[in-house]
Amino acid sequence: MSAITLRNVVKRYGAVQVVHGVDLTIDEGEFVVLLGPSGCGKTTTLRMVAGLEDVSEGELSIGGRVVNNLAPKDRGVAMVFQNYALYPHMTVRQNMEFALRPMKLEKSVVDKRIADTAEILGLSPLMERRPAQLSGGQRQRVAMGRAMVRTPKVFLFDEPLSNLDAKLRTQVRWEIGKLHQRLGTTVLYVTHDQVEAMTLADKIVIMRDGYVEQVGTPEEVFAHPKTTFVATFIGSPAMNMIDGRIESGRMVAEGISFAIPARYHVSEGQAVTLGIRPSEIKIAASDDAGALDARVEVTEYLGNEALLDLRIGRHEMVAEVPAADRVEPGRTIRVRFNEAALHLFDAQTGKTLAL
Amino acid sequence: MGYIQRRNRRIFLIFLFPVIVALFATTIYPMLYAGWLSFRNYDLAKPFIPRVFVGWANYAEVLSSGPFLHALITTFKLMAITLSVQLVLGVGIALLVTQKLRGMGLVRTLLLIPMMISPVIVGLVWLFLYFPELGYLNYFLSLIGLGPVSWITSTDWALLAIAIADIWQWTPFVMMGTAAALQSLSPEPYEAARIDGNSRWDVFSRVTLPQLKPVLVSLMFLRAIDAFKIYDIIFVLTKGGPADSTEVISLYIYRQSFTFWRMGVGAAASFVSLIIISVLITLFFKSLQRGQASKG
Amino acid sequence: MSFMRTVALTAALAAGAAGAANAEKQFEGVELKMLGIGDTSVTRLAPIVGEFEELTGAKVQIDMFPYPGLIDKIIIEASSDKPSYQLLWVDSPWVGMLGEAGALEDLTDLAKRDAEEIGLKDIVPIQLQENTWQGRLLAFPASGMIWSTNYRKDLYENADEMANFKAKYGYDLAAPSTWAQYRDQAEFFTRKAGDTLAGETLEKDFYGNAQAFSRVAGAITHDYFPIMRAFGGDYWDPGTGLCAMTGEAHVKAAEFMKSLVPSNPPDYLGLMWDLRTGYMERGETALSSYWSVRTVRLTNPAEAMVAEKGLVVGYAPSPTADGAPQPTYTGALSFGINSKASDKEKEAAWAFIKWGTSEAMMRRFAEEGSGVSQFRKSILSDPDLQAKYPYYGVLLSAQENAKRRIFHPFYQDVEENFGIELNKYMAGETETALEALTTACNAVNSRLKIFPEEMRLRWIDDVPADVLKD
Repeated sequence: MSAITLRNVVKRYGAVQVVHGVDLTIDEGEFVVLLGPSGCGKTTTLRMVAGLEDVSEGELSIGGRVVNNLAPKDRGVAMVFQNYALYPHMTVRQNMEFALRPMKLEKSVVDKRIADTAEILGLSPLMERRPAQLSGGQRQRVAMGRAMVRTPKVFLFDEPLSNLDAKLRTQVRWEIGKLHQRLGTTVLYVTHDQVEAMTLADKIVIMRDGYVEQVGTPEEVFAHPKTTFVATFIGSPAMNMIDGRIESGRMVAEGISFAIPARYHVSEGQAVTLGIRPSEIKIAASDDAGALDARVEVTEYLGNEALLDLRIGRHEMVAEVPAADRVEPGRTIRVRFNEAALHLFDAQTGKTLAL
Repeated sequence: MGYIQRRNRRIFLIFLFPVIVALFATTIYPMLYAGWLSFRNYDLAKPFIPRVFVGWANYAEVLSSGPFLHALITTFKLMAITLSVQLVLGVGIALLVTQKLRGMGLVRTLLLIPMMISPVIVGLVWLFLYFPELGYLNYFLSLIGLGPVSWITSTDWALLAIAIADIWQWTPFVMMGTAAALQSLSPEPYEAARIDGNSRWDVFSRVTLPQLKPVLVSLMFLRAIDAFKIYDIIFVLTKGGPADSTEVISLYIYRQSFTFWRMGVGAAASFVSLIIISVLITLFFKSLQRGQASKG
Repeated sequence: MSFMRTVALTAALAAGAAGAANAEKQFEGVELKMLGIGDTSVTRLAPIVGEFEELTGAKVQIDMFPYPGLIDKIIIEASSDKPSYQLLWVDSPWVGMLGEAGALEDLTDLAKRDAEEIGLKDIVPIQLQENTWQGRLLAFPASGMIWSTNYRKDLYENADEMANFKAKYGYDLAAPSTWAQYRDQAEFFTRKAGDTLAGETLEKDFYGNAQAFSRVAGAITHDYFPIMRAFGGDYWDPGTGLCAMTGEAHVKAAEFMKSLVPSNPPDYLGLMWDLRTGYMERGETALSSYWSVRTVRLTNPAEAMVAEKGLVVGYAPSPTADGAPQPTYTGALSFGINSKASDKEKEAAWAFIKWGTSEAMMRRFAEEGSGVSQFRKSILSDPDLQAKYPYYGVLLSAQENAKRRIFHPFYQDVEENFGIELNKYMAGETETALEALTTACNAVNSRLKIFPEEMRLRWIDDVPADVLKD
C-alpha cells in the first residue's frame, strides 16, 4: 500500500493556479524529494500534504485514506520547517513535550520517547537549553526530534538545510539520511538543492512552474532526463545545450554535425536541441579528424578536475577534464563529444526524443 | 586628547545645552521647588500665615491621614480593575484584529480613536452617557427593561463607572501594543502546533501568551503609572464623589493644594505617593519578571 | 410712579452720555477684565457692557466660569503680583478669605463719597453687611442671595391633592412653615410613574423634593447650612472661635436632610445646584428650597419650563424648626476690585460697578423681564414689579430679620470638609450625623487651633458695616 498518493492535485489562489494536476505515488518507507527552483510549487505541494493548505482540486490520500478535508493533526504526519519553527520560550525538552501533548500519553511514555529521541539525535546534553542557546545545526536536530517523538507515519521536510552553512549542511544531510535508514519512515522532502536530492532520495520529483517534469530515481533523472529543464537542472556543471536541425539523418548545428544515435526518433528537418554533459566532452589528439576546434576562454581548476570554458564555432560550452589535462586560456585545442552520451530533445517541446 | 576631540566635545555641549536647560526648567526645577515646598507651611490663599520651614510635619500629616490612606486604597482598587480588564480585553481584541480578514485594518484604526481623545473629552462623553435620568446608557438599559443605574451618583457604581471610562479609553493602547507584538511572532511555530494537533487554548496559553509576556508586562507597567495619575476623567465625572468613593490620590493632592491651598501638604503628598508608587510598581514587576525567569 | 422714575433716570443717563460724548471720555484707553460667574448675577449685565464703553471709554470684558473652581481662579489671581483681572466676582462667603488676604480694594470711602449716586440707603442693609470684612465694605452687591422655598402652587391648590393630604396628615396643605411639614409634603408628593398627580397619570416618576446633596464644590453645604441655621444652629463657638457644628440643631438638620432622601431623585448624591433647581424649573418636583439667584429663573420662560408650561410656582420663606421666625439666611453676589489694580483701573472699575448695579440698571433688568435677585428696597417693594415677580415680596420680607452667611477666612475648609462628610453621611457611608459633623469640625479645627484665640474671635466677629453708620 502506498503511503501517500496525489491524484491530479491542483492548488489555486483565486484565479492564479500554482500547482497543476500533480500525480504522485509514494511508497511506504520511501524517501521522496520534491526538487525544483523557487516558485515551482514544491513547497505548496508539501503544505497540501501537511494540511496547511487546502487542496483546490484532485485527491490526496495518506495511508490509503483520502485526507483532503482532514485536519493536519489527523493525517499522521510530522513536519520539519525551514526555520525550525521551535517555540523560542521553551527548552528543548518542553518543545518535544508540547508536540506530544495532544497525544495525552503517560508521563513515563513521554519521558521515554523524548530520552530515546534525544539519544538518537545526540541532544541529551542540550535538553534544558532554549533555542536561542543552540547552534543552527542543533536547532535543526531539535526540530527533527520534535517531529520524531510523535512517531508519525510520514515525515515532511521543508527545505530543512537551507539555513545552515555549507559544511553543516553536508553533515546534517548525512544525519538525515542515516536517520531515514534507521527509522524507515516515509519521507517527503522539499529542496531546491540537487545535491540533497541526489544524495538522499529514493525518488526525485522534479517540478517546474507547478508541473511535474519528471519522476525517477536519482540515476534515472541524471542519465535520462525527460526534458531540457531536467537535463540542465540536474548535474553540475549543467549540461551543454546546442540548437540544431536534422539534416540528412544528422544533427547539424553551425559547424557541428553528429550522427543520431539509434535510440532517438527524429524526422528530417526537425528542430532539435542537443545536450552533452561537460564530462562527456573529451580532449582529442590534434590529428583527430572527427574532432572539433575549440578555443579555451577560461580555465577553472577544481582539484581533481578542471572546467574549460570553450568556444566551438559560435557555441559556448563547458568541458570537465582531468586537472592534469587542463589547458592555458587562449589556446585552441581539439575536442571530441562522446556520442554515446548525447541527449536529443525536441526544440519546440523540450521533450526528449528518446524512444 | 587632541584639538579636534576637544572641539567636538565643545560643539557637543553647545548642542546639548538647550536640552539641559529645557530639562531643568520643565522637570528638575519644578521637582526641586516641590521638594522645597513640601517642608514648608505654604498657604497660597492666606498670605498672613507665615510660610515657614516645618520639617517633616507635612509628611507626618499625610502619612497619618485617613483620607490619604483611603485615596491610596481607592487608587489601587481602580488600578486593579482597569488594568486587569484592559489586559484581558486588549489581548482579546488584539487576537481578533490580527486575524487576516478583510477590513481589519480599518477596524483597528477605528479602535484607536478613544486613545487619541483628550481625557477631559472622554470624561464629557461618558458624562453624557452616565448622566442621571437623561443619560444614553440608562436609556439603552431601559429599552431592555433594566436600570436605571445611578452610574456616577451612587457609591456602589461610581468607581466602576470611572473604571469603564478609563477602560474604554485605554484598552486600545493595550490592544495596539499586543497586536504589534502578535504580528512580530513567527508564524511557523503555529503551523507546527497545527500539525502536531495542539488545542487552541494550549497554543494561546503556552505559545502565544508566554511570548507576549514581556510586551504585556511593559504595557501594564505604563498603564499602572498612568492609572496612578488618573485625574481628568474623575474630575469631569465625579470630582471624587459621591461620598469619597472615587477619591484617588491625585484628587487628594489637588484638594490639599487648590482647595485648602496647603501647597506644602500637597507637595508632601505628591512625594509620598511618588515613592509608594515607585516602590510598589517596581516590586510588583520585579516579581513578575522573576517569575518568568525561574520558569525558564 | 415707577415708570416715571425710570423715564427720569434713563433721561439722566442719556444726558450724561451726551455730555460725555462732547468732552474726552473719562476712561478712554482703560481696559477692564472681570473674573466672573456664568449665573444671573453676571449674565444679565455681560451682553450690554458695550454701553459702558460708550459712556466712559473703558472697555470691559467679562470672563464667565462655572461656580465650582471659580474661587480657585480668584485666589490664584489674587496671589499674583501682576493681576490680569481688575474686577472680581465675589460670593459673600469669600469675603473673609479674600479680605484677610488683602485681595480686595476697600470700597467703604468710595461708597460713602458716592452714597447719593449709588442710592446707598435704598440697598437692603444686610446686602451691604454681607460684603464687609471687619466692618469695611470689600464688594458691592450685584445680586441678592436669599434662601427661600419654591413650590408647585398648582399642585398645592389642587382640590384632590388638598383633600388627600388633609386626610393623610390631618392639616391643610399649604406652603410649609416647619421642617416637619416640609418633609410631609415632600413625602406626600413623591409618586411613581403610573400614579396619579393632580388628576393626571404620570409618565415618569415624580419627586416630592429636590435638594442639593452633591459634594462637588461643597454643594450640599449650601443647602445644609441654611437648613441648619433655620433649625437654630450656628457655625462657631463664640467663646473660642472654633467650629461648633456638632450641636443638637446641627445633627437635627443633617438628619432632616437625610429624611428627605426618599423623596428626592435616585441620583440625589450627584445633585448640584443647577441639577436640583432643574427639577423645579421643569416642574418635576413639588417642593425645593434654594437660593434666589436661581429662583429668579422660574419666571423666565427661556430659562424655566414651568413658566412655559404655565405651571404656577409659589414662593415662601424658608421653614423653621418650630414655625417660629428665625433670622433668614442671606447672602450676596457682588463685584469687588482687585487691590493690585492700578489707581486708574480702580477708578474705572468703581465706575463700572456703580453703573452695573445702579437702580436704573436693576430696574431695566426687571422691566426687560430677566429675573435678577434684586437688592434694592425701592424695586422689591414696587407693586407693579411685585405683581410681575411674585417672589419679590418674599425676598424683601425675608431680609427684614436676616443674618449673614458664613464669612470666615477658612471658609473653603469648612465648605469642602462638610461637603464631603455630609455627602458620606447621606450616602450611608457614615453611620450617624454626629459622626460626620464631628469629623468635619475636627478637620476645620485642626487648622484653626494653631492660631491665637483673639485672632479666631476676630475672624468670626461680624463688625457692623462702616457704610451703614451715619
